[in-house]
Amino acid sequence: MAHEAEPVVRLENLTKTIRGKKIIDNVSLDLYPGQVTGFLGPNGAGKTTTIRMMAGLMKPTSGDVLIAGKSITADFEEAMTHVGVIVENPEMYKYMTGYKNLLHFARMHKGVTKKRIDEIVRQVGLEKRIHEKVGTYSLGMRQRLGLAQALLHSPEFLILDEPTNGLDPAGIREFRTYLRSLAEKAGVSVFVSSHMLSEIELMCDRIAVIQGGKLIDIREMKDGTKPHHYIEARPADRLAALLQTKGYEPEMLGEGFVIEEKADNIPALAEAVVGAGLALYAVRPHRRTLEDEFIEMTGGGQIAETAAE
Amino acid sequence: MLKLLQNEWMKLWSKKATWVMVLLLVVGVAGMLSLTKWLSTIDGNEASGGNVSVEGPSDAPDWRLQAEAERAEISVQLTDSKLSATRKSELEDQLKIAEYRLAEDAPPHGSYSRQQIIKDSSGIASFAMLFVIIVAAGIVATEFSDGTIKMLLARPVKRWKVLTSKFLATVLFGLLLMAAGFLVSVLLSFLLFSPDGGIELAVKGGEVAEVSIWPEALNYLVLAFVNIIVYTTFAFMIGSVFRSGSLAIGLSLFIFFTGNTVSALLSRYEIAKYLFFSHDLVSLAQGMAFIEGVTLPFAAAVLGVYAVLFLLVSYMVFSRRDVTA
Repeated sequence: MAHEAEPVVRLENLTKTIRGKKIIDNVSLDLYPGQVTGFLGPNGAGKTTTIRMMAGLMKPTSGDVLIAGKSITADFEEAMTHVGVIVENPEMYKYMTGYKNLLHFARMHKGVTKKRIDEIVRQVGLEKRIHEKVGTYSLGMRQRLGLAQALLHSPEFLILDEPTNGLDPAGIREFRTYLRSLAEKAGVSVFVSSHMLSEIELMCDRIAVIQGGKLIDIREMKDGTKPHHYIEARPADRLAALLQTKGYEPEMLGEGFVIEEKADNIPALAEAVVGAGLALYAVRPHRRTLEDEFIEMTGGGQIAETAAE
Repeated sequence: MLKLLQNEWMKLWSKKATWVMVLLLVVGVAGMLSLTKWLSTIDGNEASGGNVSVEGPSDAPDWRLQAEAERAEISVQLTDSKLSATRKSELEDQLKIAEYRLAEDAPPHGSYSRQQIIKDSSGIASFAMLFVIIVAAGIVATEFSDGTIKMLLARPVKRWKVLTSKFLATVLFGLLLMAAGFLVSVLLSFLLFSPDGGIELAVKGGEVAEVSIWPEALNYLVLAFVNIIVYTTFAFMIGSVFRSGSLAIGLSLFIFFTGNTVSALLSRYEIAKYLFFSHDLVSLAQGMAFIEGVTLPFAAAVLGVYAVLFLLVSYMVFSRRDVTA
């Protein structure tokens, strides 16, 4: 992986032990400006714990998180200056107006002016309701307000924990577009955890997969997928045998099989199938989704032994 | 820090409950004083106020009989050789005042006189105490129960600063309640009660002198506030350690209401002196010691140590806690 820029965030051997159990085990990861990194893992894998350590809500047992070069354990305030956080459902002060909520959080950062508050309110499209109590907001509006509070101080690094929970499809789409533009135009480094794999697939440049507290894979989305094809012929068992003798590892999918092969070699393979006396029904390129890969990587995504989430 | 305090203040007053508490305090104090007024009319001419001293059964005014009784009693107490130095000088001062009253014919204020009502304003403290405890108990705990703690702590602000702003906001709220209660109390004392010709006396530099009631009233208020602060830090600690406001309110009020009984039961033992709920500074200042050998400075010191202890625990737990809620 070639990155020209310096990483904004570095996780260095991050470890968290709770009551003798290693919830997070030696996780190291770099996050770069202008990139959206997805954080995937089955329930209980340690996603939330990792994110909370990055957000200053939990203290690492050992290891460190460096944000813009500042250690979150030694230079907490300096490090957190660069971070915007949305942890799960953004819980706001329901008895105050949206504006007062933003004012409240703005006071906790240096140099956030009233003008900036107005600007961010416009950006997330809440102008009309900002002076109403948050208790009257719909979930979608609360998500917008949550985004607004995370972006008030123009952070270089944005952490989002399950951000699309409770958003409708249109809202999710809008949110996705907004995140992409934050990364691409403002150069913000975004770290987003989600269990909605199709979401991650659509908005991320890179994914990091955690399982059982260990980082098991980091990959770029663009080069991540090798070409696959779907092939269906009858009788199926003879097709499977044929594919195996040709050195493929056929994977059952519905009535047929998925094999790893590039398009150039497909006509010859089809000929071989027909030549062997099989009835060929379909051959088509198969795009493996992130979900397929995720399940392959994590072995079906069973709940890990330590339920950390 | 000022901004954090502003935040806490804004959150506090955005809650309806806070306004209700202030309202209840005003209503409560007004109710208490109206009741006192009503009692004064029932008690009849004794409290008719004004400059008239009511004649007692033996032709001497009541206050003279009382002063004579007091003089006799103090003289007896002073013969006790085991008296501590501070207690002894306290008694000697009281004796001087009683003798001065008899010699100079200077009556004290009647119990239903405007001056006495103002002097006793520290009675508002129990209302203030109740409401400050409620605020102290909830100010940290509700951040956890509402889930807003995540938003509050994922900021470039160290946790001890956040906690300090919350504590200061609570203390400020307490001060405000005391001030509001005192104001209402003074206002009503002017509306409902008439002044009498009593004279307030104090010993200054060995000499008995006439003094104003105001410094004394304020002194009692300050002492009552110290008591409030100790209960406040207790509720604050329980609220931030157990993250449960109702537990903190319940426990604090339980101790507040049963504390006197417990310390009375334990008063024979040394330990009673070192319990924070044993000491009511206002009573001590008025010369009523429930536990032998307890002086005002001693009690204040005990309370101070407790307050610091409670705060230390709050800070340690709050700044180390992993936020998992």
